[in-house]
Amino acid sequence: MEIRRILSAIIGIAQGVIGVLFGVLAVMLVLNLTEVQTVFNVPPELLPLYLLILGLFSVFSIISGFFLIREWQGIT
Amino acid sequence: MTDEKKHGLLSAIIMGLGGAIGFEIFALLNYAYFDLAGPSMISALFFCGIINLVTMLSYSELSASIPEVGGEYTYTKVAFGGVISFMAGCLRWLASVFGGALAAVVFVNQLGVLFSVFAPSIQDLVLVNASLLIIGLVVILIFLAIRGVEEATTFIVAAFLAIFVIFLAMSLGYTLSPQNIVPEASGNGIVIFFATTAYLFPMFVGMRALVAGAPQIKNPGKNVPRALIISTVLLTIVYFAVAYVAVGAVPIGGEVTGDELPLLNLAASTIMGPVGAILFALAGIIASVSSVGTAMTVQSSILGGMSRDGYLPNALLKAHKRFGTRYVAIIASSLFVIFFGTSGAVEFLGYAASFGSLLVFALVNLSLIQLRRKMPRLDRPFKAPFYPLTPLAGIVMSVLLLTFPVVLRDVNAESALLSSLGMVAIVLVTYYLRMVKREVDFNRLRVAVGGICFGAGLTLIVLTPVIAPPSLFIIMIIAGLVSILAGILNILVSARKID
Repeated sequence: MEIRRILSAIIGIAQGVIGVLFGVLAVMLVLNLTEVQTVFNVPPELLPLYLLILGLFSVFSIISGFFLIREWQGIT
Repeated sequence: MTDEKKHGLLSAIIMGLGGAIGFEIFALLNYAYFDLAGPSMISALFFCGIINLVTMLSYSELSASIPEVGGEYTYTKVAFGGVISFMAGCLRWLASVFGGALAAVVFVNQLGVLFSVFAPSIQDLVLVNASLLIIGLVVILIFLAIRGVEEATTFIVAAFLAIFVIFLAMSLGYTLSPQNIVPEASGNGIVIFFATTAYLFPMFVGMRALVAGAPQIKNPGKNVPRALIISTVLLTIVYFAVAYVAVGAVPIGGEVTGDELPLLNLAASTIMGPVGAILFALAGIIASVSSVGTAMTVQSSILGGMSRDGYLPNALLKAHKRFGTRYVAIIASSLFVIFFGTSGAVEFLGYAASFGSLLVFALVNLSLIQLRRKMPRLDRPFKAPFYPLTPLAGIVMSVLLLTFPVVLRDVNAESALLSSLGMVAIVLVTYYLRMVKREVDFNRLRVAVGGICFGAGLTLIVLTPVIAPPSLFIIMIIAGLVSILAGILNILVSARKID
């Protein structure tokens, strides 16, 4: 049980951080900060699709990470 | 509302025209003409009018027999209830979000066109800061929507019609004879024609504002169907004539590509000179601002209705203490408008708005068939003629229009369809999770999220070697592995608790 809780903590925190980073990347793509659209070679017509995928991945990663962190803290 | 205060036939027609005539004509004609159908875009507009008329007959029957607020959401709720009405509400909301985002993009484009006449350096500044301008516009409109500012629909319709009439009258001095306005009969010609029809369809769908406003109209059983038919015919004639002149004034080919100025602005400056350019840019700005505002009100009303029925969180029903407007719903919807609007992708947003509306149209026609079977004795002051052919034709045409842009392999249409289907999947998952028993809610949610993360992680690892730039290869593989592990952990823990 203890191993699973530790694993939940590590994976939960990692996934939460990844989710936040994907969200930040989506915002950077929208606003084209630091020419990020050119850096990642994103065609303008596919930008909404990239945003949708990044947005969904970000939201689900944060939710999933949140669940695992709750389990680690023994809330569930 | 008392009977004396209700609107007559003329007001109903203005309501229908007010809902439909708007910014779309500035945004959509360009891509349809220069990239899709060329001059046969004019015929596609005519076909749009016919499809709209067919579905409006179904709308007329439903609005006359169920004269309640809520439009499509209410009709599908009475006919099917449950997940179908939830989906209709969500799709209607989604179409409105994409439409609002498109209007915000048009606002910036037309602002650029206006400045191009006076000061090209400011035009560059406008186009470079498009995202910030869109955010600024939406934030200002959020405040206005929360304060409950009324719109001047009659004024906007009158101004638009006047501008179009002047434009058409001045074009009489020119010899305009657009070639090839009938689509080619070859296989690809027909596919392009239907794809263009799908793309241009949002120019007509706003007419359902009349149906949503049916309870405010005198004798809705007679006046709503008449107003719908008259406004569809009027709108088709106006659009057809304006597009005919625009295509005649700006022949395709040569140096004109539509990149410098939108088709309608180009045609206006060709026929009316700088005055035309200014007039049309101003009309575009007013129409787009008005449409973003309307979209926000519509979205908050849809979200509020679905919250009231228990499909969405009650927080969306929260009303402002002073103005009484649903400010949480307005702000929540506006964030989506900003998100998609700042992408600036006109073609994607045009298709996305169209797909959402077409799916809703198909559901409305299905509701008509279902209600005729389920409630044969329902009082129907107006009956759609040629039943069941009318609703069946509406369904078939909606599905055809959804299919052809993808058959054409138009990348904008593919992105829009994938996004719409993704949203539909989220809607279904949300409905399922929301409506199942409360005690197993949390664990079902964990299993669902775990499954999504597992699938997303697996997809990421498979796609990384194909799509990832070398600099991101390791990061994406790690993200994929973490996602898979998190998915497995969430599923294992919660599936046991559900059992």
